Amino acid sequence: MEEDEFIGEKTFQHYCAEFIKHSQQIGDSWEWRPSKDCSDGYMCKIHFQIKNESVMSHPGASTHGQTCLPMEEAFELPSDDCEVIETAAASKVIKYEYHVLYSCSYQVPVLYFRASFLDGRPLTLKDIWEGVHECYKTRLLQGPWDTITQQEHPILGQPFFVLHPCKTNEFMAPVLKNSRKINQNVNYITSWLSIVGPVVGLNLPLSYAKATSQAERNID
Amino acid sequence: MAEEPQCMLQLPPSSAAGGEGLTEVSPETTTPEPPSSAAVSPGTEEPAGDTKKKIDILLKAVGDTPIMKTKKWAVERTRTIQGLIDFIKKFLKLVASEQLFIYVNQSFAPSPDQEVGTLYECFGSDGKLVLHYCKSQAWG
Repeated sequence: MEEDEFIGEKTFQHYCAEFIKHSQQIGDSWEWRPSKDCSDGYMCKIHFQIKNESVMSHPGASTHGQTCLPMEEAFELPSDDCEVIETAAASKVIKYEYHVLYSCSYQVPVLYFRASFLDGRPLTLKDIWEGVHECYKTRLLQGPWDTITQQEHPILGQPFFVLHPCKTNEFMAPVLKNSRKINQNVNYITSWLSIVGPVVGLNLPLSYAKATSQAERNID
Repeated sequence: MAEEPQCMLQLPPSSAAGGEGLTEVSPETTTPEPPSSAAVSPGTEEPAGDTKKKIDILLKAVGDTPIMKTKKWAVERTRTIQGLIDFIKKFLKLVASEQLFIYVNQSFAPSPDQEVGTLYECFGSDGKLVLHYCKSQAWG
């Protein structure tokens, strides 16, 4: 990696691959989706959340054969396509989609996301903000249009919400500089996603942090 | 590691409202417990079957973030990252537009609801959890 704050597209893809490797190990259901001409692509995760209840993750790729978490009541198990288990009311279940794309103009990853109810109704930006974690709300609400905007997905061409990448370098730079100082290998995508994810309801399991350090120890 | 005064400061307990209402802890306040290095015999980190309610956290600044005068804290296991962030922001007198991030392993930001006790179990060593913190104007 020649530069610290900016990453090239190949580097981006490399970190995504490493990230997905770990995701597969722990059943976190991230997958890589190549674009039509396969020249680029993005990371994607689908996640179902029951409003006001505990989160239920959806193993989209099912590479490990894991089924959805068993619920208390006896529902019919979903087919292998894994549609979500409907609980009290369909309108209470929200499907979140998170996409990690590479921005050529900013030379950083960008988080695209959208959410909809099971009947297909998309969540509004206002609904999204209600899901933003308390500790980010004040800052975001001061200038929401600076941070979350709606844009066309560069590959899918559909409207998505986007967490604006213009400040990515600002918060990534100290982390990267610091890790260089101590000769630590950092997965840029893991670090970056751990920071931006919670803003839009995406929390990374702690084992991602350990995955990086285990890789370091192997190098030693 | 530099020699630091072993003042183990108690992080004020979170109020029911979720971490608000932290009172300022004066640097002179020390806990009744003796400094950990004196109490722990060589070769052991903590007493077996340790169910201490508090864990020791060492806070380290990253980048241009101001360094806290007091770096070592005894924190309840159930304190969340968000609670810790709020505390550090008040301690450093950051303005609302500044974000503060906390990292484990110097590179991974745990989610705000994560309890420090869990982080200590996963990433603690030598009887303490090292957390790096960094301020940033991340958005806007």
